Formats: sequence, structure tokens, C-alpha cells
Amino acid sequence: MNVVERRRLRLRLRDLAALSAFTAVGLSGSVPVWVSVLFVLAFAISMFDRRPLARQRAWAVVALLAVAVVLFGLAFKGALDLVVAAVSFAALVTAHRLVSEPSAATDQQALLASLLLIAGAAALSGEIWFAACLLAFGVFSCLHLGLSVVEGPVDRNEDLPMGPVFRQVSLGVGLALAGGVAFFVLFPRLSWNLASRRATPGLLGQSATGMSDRVRLGGGGDLKTRARIVLRARLQPDPKQDELDRYWVGRRFDVFDGREWHGSGVPVAASDFVHLTANDRRDTEQEIEVLPAYGARTLVALEHPVMFTRARATSASGTTATQLVHVPGEEVRFAAEAISYTYVAYSRPGTWMRDDEGERTRALALPTIDPRVAALAKTIVGTETDPLRRAHLVERWLKTSLSYSLELEGEVADPLTEFLFVRKSGHCEHFATALAVLLRTLDVPARITVGFFGGKRVDDRYLIRAGDAHAWVEAWVDDRGWVTLDATPESGRGSQPVALLAMLADLGDRIEEAWRSRVVDYSFIDQVQFVRNLVRPPERAEREGTSTTRAPVSVPWRGLASAGVGLVAYLVVRRFQRRERLHPAATFLARLEGQLAQLQVPRREGEPLEELTRRLTGERHPLAPPLEQATRRYLEARFGARPLPEAEQRRLLEALRAPAQLVR
Amino acid sequence: MSVVTTLRERWRSRSRRWRAPRTLKATRVGRTYLVLTVGIGLGALNTGNNLLYLVLGFLLSIIVLSGVLSEWAIRDVRVRRLLPEGVYAGERFPLRYEVTRTDGRAFALKLGEGTGAIDGWAWVPYVTEGQPLVVRADATASRRGPVRLSTIEVSTYFPFGLFEKTRTLEVDDLLIVWPRRGFTCDPPAADGGRHVGDLGTSRQRDGGGDLLGLRELDPGEDARRIHWAKSASTGRLLKVEREREDRQQYTLSIDPTATLGDELDRECEETAALTHRLLADGHEVGLRSRGRAIRPSAGPGHERRLLTALAWVGYDDDAPERARP
Repeated sequence: MNVVERRRLRLRLRDLAALSAFTAVGLSGSVPVWVSVLFVLAFAISMFDRRPLARQRAWAVVALLAVAVVLFGLAFKGALDLVVAAVSFAALVTAHRLVSEPSAATDQQALLASLLLIAGAAALSGEIWFAACLLAFGVFSCLHLGLSVVEGPVDRNEDLPMGPVFRQVSLGVGLALAGGVAFFVLFPRLSWNLASRRATPGLLGQSATGMSDRVRLGGGGDLKTRARIVLRARLQPDPKQDELDRYWVGRRFDVFDGREWHGSGVPVAASDFVHLTANDRRDTEQEIEVLPAYGARTLVALEHPVMFTRARATSASGTTATQLVHVPGEEVRFAAEAISYTYVAYSRPGTWMRDDEGERTRALALPTIDPRVAALAKTIVGTETDPLRRAHLVERWLKTSLSYSLELEGEVADPLTEFLFVRKSGHCEHFATALAVLLRTLDVPARITVGFFGGKRVDDRYLIRAGDAHAWVEAWVDDRGWVTLDATPESGRGSQPVALLAMLADLGDRIEEAWRSRVVDYSFIDQVQFVRNLVRPPERAEREGTSTTRAPVSVPWRGLASAGVGLVAYLVVRRFQRRERLHPAATFLARLEGQLAQLQVPRREGEPLEELTRRLTGERHPLAPPLEQATRRYLEARFGARPLPEAEQRRLLEALRAPAQLVR
Repeated sequence: MSVVTTLRERWRSRSRRWRAPRTLKATRVGRTYLVLTVGIGLGALNTGNNLLYLVLGFLLSIIVLSGVLSEWAIRDVRVRRLLPEGVYAGERFPLRYEVTRTDGRAFALKLGEGTGAIDGWAWVPYVTEGQPLVVRADATASRRGPVRLSTIEVSTYFPFGLFEKTRTLEVDDLLIVWPRRGFTCDPPAADGGRHVGDLGTSRQRDGGGDLLGLRELDPGEDARRIHWAKSASTGRLLKVEREREDRQQYTLSIDPTATLGDELDRECEETAALTHRLLADGHEVGLRSRGRAIRPSAGPGHERRLLTALAWVGYDDDAPERARP
């Protein structure tokens, strides 16, 4: 690779390192759009080898200073976060260096500014893509630096073998990453917490559920294909099922105007906990973590929630306790706006006995609807008079007579009539609306509930995806209370991702879960457990009959550790083998002596090669000239550090054969 | 040999190798890197942000790795000098090093002299085991005299250019630095009656030098210059004309009262310049200095001999036997 190609490669590596660092920040969604546009523009210009600021050094510096004054002025006024201002300025400095005249100093400044971007991204976001960006930045910047170092202080127009350089630097990068992980695991987690801040949801972590204060019929069901995790819950007692397949109640709507549902509850004063009814020991306790992708303030719990408490909200300024607002008959929501939340909920399976006449009355109200709807309801139930049986008949009819579909295009004037009599297909909101309205025409109080259906177990927690969002019906039956009815066919209840996407999303979930639990939430307690398990393996603890709370080391970790140990062992063995390996010249000597013996050259007992050569030269033996040459080359190779290639070895040995035939 | 003995020998050999002196210096970008690392570390400690700890771990492991890989690069390197016979003070000269790697590969090596008397360095981008590489440094010796080169500094910025690690190799050599070339004043008087050649001859073309031609002998001219064979063939007396040689012998001397230092250096520089001028004019030049004398002679080899003698003036006590002029 010549000097021009090497220079171009170096600049590409530098640009890619800078882009990786900026991506880490950009995906946090914190950087102003104009900064992103400027950076991407500078990157594109640099990739085309254009340096428009090479001769505008003074003006560029003045412009940067002006931007710095504006950014930090905004931060001082409180209009911009200080970290965001610093990161934006670092991004602009990096962009400036990309389109300046390339030199060793410019390249180094670009990488150092990129390092600031990486640090800023660590402060602004905690998503898995940060790891990918950090990895890319580490690889590209280390390769750039390694190449620059080998290139030397002066450009030399000579070819350099890039293979060994990249191998060595890549080994270095790999070891640096491994060392970084080791340091991360072992460095004591001591925190002063003077100015701690938490991550923002980021561009990829924006709201994905669409949980809002009303349900409007119409449109498709693209939400069902979204695979992002929105909730994580640890249940006590643990049901130990891979697929939970239970209803997670979010919000109830009881007022329907023919096109959309909305609630009618009136919020009560905020408090630290909300009791919906007296809880007892049989209730299922849920430690729930609401992720930024959830994008709403409504609390969610397994059916039927009886109590919410210990709510904590995480915002840009840190994690604090937050209060809860109860909207009777509708929802329980967080009082404060935040990025993510944690709370504890208690639920009791079965039916919901709370009897509120107002709720029942509202659950019977009907807007002006097509008379065919009421006629259909009567047709379905026939002569049945028991309200619960009537409800189940309608539920079964909807399930079996209509089909589930997410592909509903266009707005229609009367979505319910369209669903029941024209399209005869729809998604969960259509089924739930139809069931609720049909039941109301039969004087059975009914309302719809939105939330999630499902729950997939990963490690010891259940994950809820955005695609698990669902709507179903609660109908009031005297002596039974609010009974859950779901007219949506089973195939349409959970998330509906494409198979391949589902597999990838599942893999992504596992990685993200591992990232969050083992990296983002790694704590001093985890460190203590790690060290304790190193010192005292769990097998021993089990043998002694003591319990341990640590989960067993997973198979991938074991495999990784085994691979690491194997690699180290291989390197050590190879190192010692190389030490023991014969010198290449010694193998030539062995071949030469073998050939001399084969040619039956008379040799005295213990006579070294040099003496033999001297003696044959003195005797004017025909073999003396080629043997003298071979001996000289052997000595040069063995003690003069002048290599003896295989081809030359063969030539030297071949030269011995012709005179030997003459002798014969 | 038992395994234990082998391991012990290896350990001793390895510890000897590691005991060699090393110095570590942060480069400019390395210093900035360290400041950023400290800043990120403080940020991690302050906020408890695990991602900052992750970045910090990566940065710290880069620092550790820089130390390890740079040690690998400079560990198994052998260097020897390929010195010229002598060099002029204050002028660039090619100082060549032969670099040999005894094991593995080395990258980005910078070779320079440990002594301050010689500046300049050579760059080795890549050297591999068993393939010696000769590299050149554009070096400059600041002062006249014999310079004892005892150490070679092998430095590397490998792998990331954040630190410069230097290993000092003990390699003894002697470099003769001739006096600086420069201005010369008028030549002194030639040695009394010690001229060589035809300086006493009045005619320019009656010397004993190169053949200029033949011409008819004028009356009164020296008959010894007749070319008898040509004269016989032409029937006229032809005289051989040869160029007159103006060579004189000069014996230059160094002021015995000049003290070692700038004064003596200037004295030697003037003498060297004069020597060069006289030899270029075809004279024979000798040297007498502080009890040592070199007989007048001519030719490039003699000039080098004189320059070497001038280089040693004032340092004669340090001269090894073989190096004395």
C-alpha cells in the first residue's frame, strides 16, 4: 500500500470513528437538529476528500467561538442542558476538524473531540446502541492511531506491509476491549452523587405504545408489529411460565360516542399509594419497570389490580419518589412526568367485585347507532336470558364469525357498522367495541379496557412489548362483578411481528436485557456477589447446604470464559513452542549432513562441518567448492542473521549432487 | 536439564531483559488523553453512571495496553552502528543503524544516540525477525573531537502514539568528528628550502610535471631536455616541454598555548581549512601539534589523516591505541 492509499485509509478511519461517536450522541435525541445537520454535512464533505475550511482557519475559529458563546449562553439561561451544550460544541469542533487541512494534529484533535462525544453520549443515554457505537469508535480510532504511528512523523513514499500492522493493532484493540470489560467489572462502584443525571429515552426509545386518553376506531394496527419492550415485571409468587398470557390492565373507557371511547373518571388527590380494595397475602406482587418506550403515565398491572405503591420516577435530574393519581373507574397514573418509572403493584386474579352504580350506569349508555346492531345482538342471544351466558354467546359469535386483520385502510363514517356488516374484519379495538356495544344493547353493562396481553419470561422477569398492546371488555354481571370478556380471536391478542423480525427482536431483547441488567444497572452489590462467587463457587455452597441468591452462570458466559482460558493457554503453549523451535539454519545443517552421508563423503569421527570443508578444500576434492559455499551460507544464516530461504537451501544441496556423481 | 532449571534459566534471562532501563513519556496527544481520562473518571465517580465506567475502563486499558505493546516492540531489538571514517562538525552526515529483530516483529521504532553530542534520529516503520534493516539518520555532531558513543536509544510510539517508551541499548563506538569546515586565512610561509618540484626553475614550461609538447631547442637551452629519438627521426633538435610543478611543503602547527575549548577548536578549524586549501593547490602539508608530528604529504588519504589528527588535538589522553592517528 503506497503513501497516498495509506493516507486515504487513515482519513477514512478517522471519519468513521468520528461518525460512530456522533451517532452515539445523535441517537440520544438530545443534540439540536442544526448541529446534527452540520455534522453530517461535514462528514459527507470529508468522505469526498474536500477540505473547504483548509484556508479559512481564522474565520472558522471565530465562528466556533461564536457558537460556543451561544450554546453556553443558552445553558446558562437554562434553555439548554449543560451536557447537551458541551456535546454540541464538541460535535461542531469535530466537524470543523473533519473539513480542515488533514495533519497529525488535526486528526488527533478530531479523535479527542470524538472521545468527548462518547463521554457525553454515556451521560445522555443508556441504550444498547451506545455499546455498538463505543465498539465502533474504539476499533476505528485505534486502527487510525496505529496506522498513523507506524507511518511515522514524515510521509515516506515506500510500501508498508499493512497486514502485520493491522493484525497487531487489532490484537491491541481486542485486548483493550477485554481489559475495559475487566476494569468495568472490578472497579469499585463508589459514587459521590454530587450531580448525577440519568439518561434520556433517545431517538430509538421514544413512545411506542400509543397509550392515550381515548381510543379512536379506524386505521390499521401497526402497533401490533412493534417489538420494543415497554415494561418489565418481576412477579411474586413466580408463576414460572415462559409465556404468561395474562391481561395487564392499563385504562378503562366507558363512554362511547360512535367513533371513539373515552373515560369519565374524575381524579382524586395524589398520594403515595392507591388502594383499589383491601389487599391480602394471596395477591400477586409485581415489581414493574416502565421503560421510556412506554410513553404514557398510566400504571399497568396484572388483572385485577388492587393496590399501587412505591412509585419512583426517573427524569433527567435523577430518580425520585413520585405520587400517584387515582381516576376512579378509569386509571391510576403517575403525578409527575418522567422518562421512566418503577413501582410495585398487587393484583388478584378472578373477578372484580367493586360495585359502583354510577360506573354501571355509564357502562350502559349508548350513542345513536345503526338499528341493525341491536337486531344482531338479539339474533345472537336468541332466547337466552342469563346475562353471563348472553355475554359469552356474543363473545363466541364475534370470535367465530368475524376475522382478525390489521390491514384496515381509510377512515369510515361508522366504524362499528362497517366492522360488523361490511368488512367483517378488524383488530382488537373493533372486537372490543363491538362486544361492548352489543352487550349494552342487551342491557348488560360493559366497558372496554386497554392494556397488554402476554408477558414473555427472560431470566427472572416478564417482558411486555409494544406489540402486546390489547383491548378487551369488562361486563357487569350481578353476583359475579366485572367479568373479563375478550372477543378478539386468540391469534390476534399478543404481538404480531413478522417471523424473522420476531426472532431478531427476541434476540435483540435478550441482548438489551443483558445490557441493562449487567451493564447499565451493574452495582456494588453485583460486584460483591461476583467476587464472592469467584472466591466461593456456588457448587460448594450448595454442598454445604447454604442457599445463594446468585443466579447460576449462564451457558454463554461459561462458553466465553472457557474460550478465554483456552486462548490464553494456546498463546502460552505457542510461545514456548516457538522458543523451542529449531533455528532455520540448523534444519539446513541437518539436511546438508544427511546429504553428505548419503553421498558417502569420508568424514572423521566428530569432525565438524567447517573442518570437513577445510580438509576437502586442502585435498582439492571435487565437492569442496559447493560444500564451501554451503558451509559459508550456513554460518551466515546461523550466526550472521542473514536468512537462508528454502529455495536457496535446495539450490545449495543440489549443487552438491553433480560433483558427487563425478566422483563415483 | 530439568524442567525447573530450564524455567529458572528462562526466568533469569527474562528478568535480565526486563531490567534494562526504560523511560516512558506522554506525547502531546497522550497528555490530553490523560486529562480526558481523569475527567471521565471523575464524572463516573460522581454520577455512578455505569456507561462512563465502561468508557473509563476502555481508556485505562488502552493506557495499560500501550505499555505492554510498546514493550513488545522494543524488547527483542538489536542495533549496531555503521559509522563513517569521520564527519565534519556542524554538518549533516549519514549515521546508519542496522536493526535486527531477534523475535517477532517491531513497529514504529525511533533510533537516536543517547549522548547529547550527536543529534538526529532514524525511523524504522517495520522490522521483522531475521531480516536486518539498515536505516539512516541525518545526524549532526556539534563539536570537533572524538565522540564516544556508548548508548543507542530505541524509542517507540507504538501502538497508539499516546506514549513514547524508550529503551537504552549499550553499544560502544567511537566517532571521529573533524573540525568544522570554514574560512581560512593566507597560508604561512613554506618550509625553508623544503620545496619539492620545480619551484627553482625560472621557466614555467621547464618543469618536471606532465608532458606539454615538443619544440625546437633554442640556443643556450639545457641540452638534457632534448628528446633524442624524435630529434633523430626529424633531423632537428627537439626539446621536451613539461609543466613546472609548484608544490611546496608546509608543516602546519597548532598553537601550543591554546586551551581546550572554543579557542582550540577555532585553531583546529583554521588549520583544517588551510590544510584543505593547500592540499587542493597541490602542496604537501604536514602537521605538528603538541609533541606529535605528521610528515608533509599530499592526497585525499593524507588529508583525512590530518583531519583525524586535528580531531584528536586536545583529547590525546583519551585516545585508544588503535584510534590514535
